[in-house]
Amino acid sequence: MDTISNLGQGFSVAFDPMNLLFVFIGVVVGTAIGVLPGLGPTATIALLLPITYTMDPTSSIIMLAGIYYGSMYGGTITSVLLRLPGEAASVVTTFDGYQMTKQGRAGTALGISAIGSFIGGTVAIIGLTFLAPMLAQLALAMGPAAYVALMVLGLFLVTSLGTGSTFKSLCMAGVGLLLSTVGQDPIDGSARFTFGQAPLLSGFDFVAVAMGLFGVAELLRSLEQTEKAQIVKTKIKNIWPSRKDMRDSAGAMGRGSVLGFFIGILPGGGGVISSLASYAMEKRRAKDPSRFGKGAIEGVAGPETANNASSSSAFIPLLVLGIPANVVLAMIFGALLMQGITPGPQLMTEHSDLFWGVIASMYIGNLMLLVLNIPLVGVFIQMLKVRQGILVAFSLLIVMIGVYSINNSAFDMWVVLGFGILGWIMSKTGFEPGPLVLAFVLGPILEKSFRQSMLVSGGSLEIFVTDPASAVIFAAIAVMILAKLFGGRLKTRQSRPATTEAHADGEDPATAIAPNPAEGPEQPRPTNSSDAPANTEQTPEKVPVSTRSGTP
Amino acid sequence: MPSATTDTAASAPVTPAVPTGTARKKRSIAPAALLVLGVGAGIGSWQLRLGSLQHPEPGLWPFAISLLVAFSALILLIRPGDDPVEQWTRKSWSIGAGIGILAAFILLFGAVGFLLPAALTLGVWLRVFGGESWRSTLVLAIAGPAVLYVIFNNLLGVPLPDDVLLRAFS
Repeated sequence: MDTISNLGQGFSVAFDPMNLLFVFIGVVVGTAIGVLPGLGPTATIALLLPITYTMDPTSSIIMLAGIYYGSMYGGTITSVLLRLPGEAASVVTTFDGYQMTKQGRAGTALGISAIGSFIGGTVAIIGLTFLAPMLAQLALAMGPAAYVALMVLGLFLVTSLGTGSTFKSLCMAGVGLLLSTVGQDPIDGSARFTFGQAPLLSGFDFVAVAMGLFGVAELLRSLEQTEKAQIVKTKIKNIWPSRKDMRDSAGAMGRGSVLGFFIGILPGGGGVISSLASYAMEKRRAKDPSRFGKGAIEGVAGPETANNASSSSAFIPLLVLGIPANVVLAMIFGALLMQGITPGPQLMTEHSDLFWGVIASMYIGNLMLLVLNIPLVGVFIQMLKVRQGILVAFSLLIVMIGVYSINNSAFDMWVVLGFGILGWIMSKTGFEPGPLVLAFVLGPILEKSFRQSMLVSGGSLEIFVTDPASAVIFAAIAVMILAKLFGGRLKTRQSRPATTEAHADGEDPATAIAPNPAEGPEQPRPTNSSDAPANTEQTPEKVPVSTRSGTP
Repeated sequence: MPSATTDTAASAPVTPAVPTGTARKKRSIAPAALLVLGVGAGIGSWQLRLGSLQHPEPGLWPFAISLLVAFSALILLIRPGDDPVEQWTRKSWSIGAGIGILAAFILLFGAVGFLLPAALTLGVWLRVFGGESWRSTLVLAIAGPAVLYVIFNNLLGVPLPDDVLLRAFS
């Protein structure tokens, strides 16, 4: 089969010694930052973007992808041991994972998470291997109008699924689009909003914007935190789960893999939503739901499997359609653009080494993570001893040199500082940077596709209805808006009983995690990015989230 | 960005659905600024000329987006929402100081190269914000920039600006 031979070619790329080294670096760094307080996947990838600029494109994406799924493993460790989720997707793991630690089953919880993550990740990559080529065929047939529709869908999902206010997210998406227009007009080259500044003619550099909003902002925020490093006292033993544990978790892992895979494909998916959905699903299916929150192993296995599955399948929309599903993938998108590669349906044919190499590297990376995590958990925990101040001070210096290195200009250093301040103010006022960055990345492509559609249609907006693919997507958006409007009204009406129910069921973390109790149980509200927990974390149990941004 | 803080946010008293008085005023600052941005960008795009849908001039696209920004900011002004917002604390001032240090670093970087400003930045940061001992501050502030210099300048080939310290010693 064609896919198999392509995958074989991918493995020959991934087994190149340099690439093997980069997968390894990626997964180790990913696990480390999952454990370390102060840095999450988004911030780390933002910090590393300038370095990837000098690397071979395939190697750089292999490494960044490794950081992303590696951080999903690492975040679990502190969730289970200290009830400190390293990144948002692991919040759910604190519910039962930490309870298991209290019962002296920390090793089992970590072991089952690693195995679940491996299974979920691998199932999703197999899905990615076979689904991506088919979708790419489909996507190649799409015209510019359908592209506009797809990007609008992506932005719409990111803004409406966000935890914060929809209008705040919408406004941020607008600001992101606006920022992306700074520079030269794509058609006639005249200057837009450059205020006579020559460096602005080429627009804001994506790296500087991303490093500012995620990296610098997050590092500055750490000055406001007063958390002290925690020391793990738990002895970890029996990491390899018993046969009974495996039997108990098998179903949860199977369901988590499938659920996570499909949630990951959706724009705005990946990470948090999938782990919440899996937790809710396992709890609903359980014969004795009251065990959940008290150390039920399915409550660890399911969500951990699902979040790894979704973070792998989230690569599908990026690699196939050129639409990043969440903020971390927007970073990887930016990294590809910097290398002069535009992700999209042509990627698979024009850069088949990169496409298949990255996919093959994910099989290898997941295997490495399984091997690394089971025996080496203890080593990673030692990293908690690194003091926050040292980490922050050095990270800031690296940001500054890194951003300088892109264009060798001090101007970009001011841009990164400016966006750092902006990001910090945004976090203070409850605006999420996710939609902004995503819109900033999509802006130029959206404008180009829109203008192309207008050229094709002779200036008539009707093209968005007459083009079948675009019509279907816009109809779907309309349905979702209506559902949101009416659903919201229904919920307000029912909010009284639902609230009481939620309170009565106060022990239920899945309920608790829904930001609005009126949403009712089993309806966790998702966040917009794999690692953006926002107020999802306000569980009544007050899960202490470390300062780490794992969570931009 | 959301992240952490949540701990404070979670324990903060529940704000009423429609904040009143000062709370409302405070929440209006950001939307008001965004409204100004939206309107300003709208005027700017208008000056760039809009053209028609089929033959757009440079201003058309930014103008449409400006409308989006202004519209959503207006809604936020009318309905500020009730999602938890982080408190400003005395610690927030230390962020101002951190920003100042970084700005000083950038200015010095252009003037005297990397090593000296990096050592100063690390020294102040580690001692004041990190609460490190004098000994580890000194060790890290001297060794750190040197290691970073070698990594970036020599290994990664980033041409750092002419360095005063290196010139003095060579």
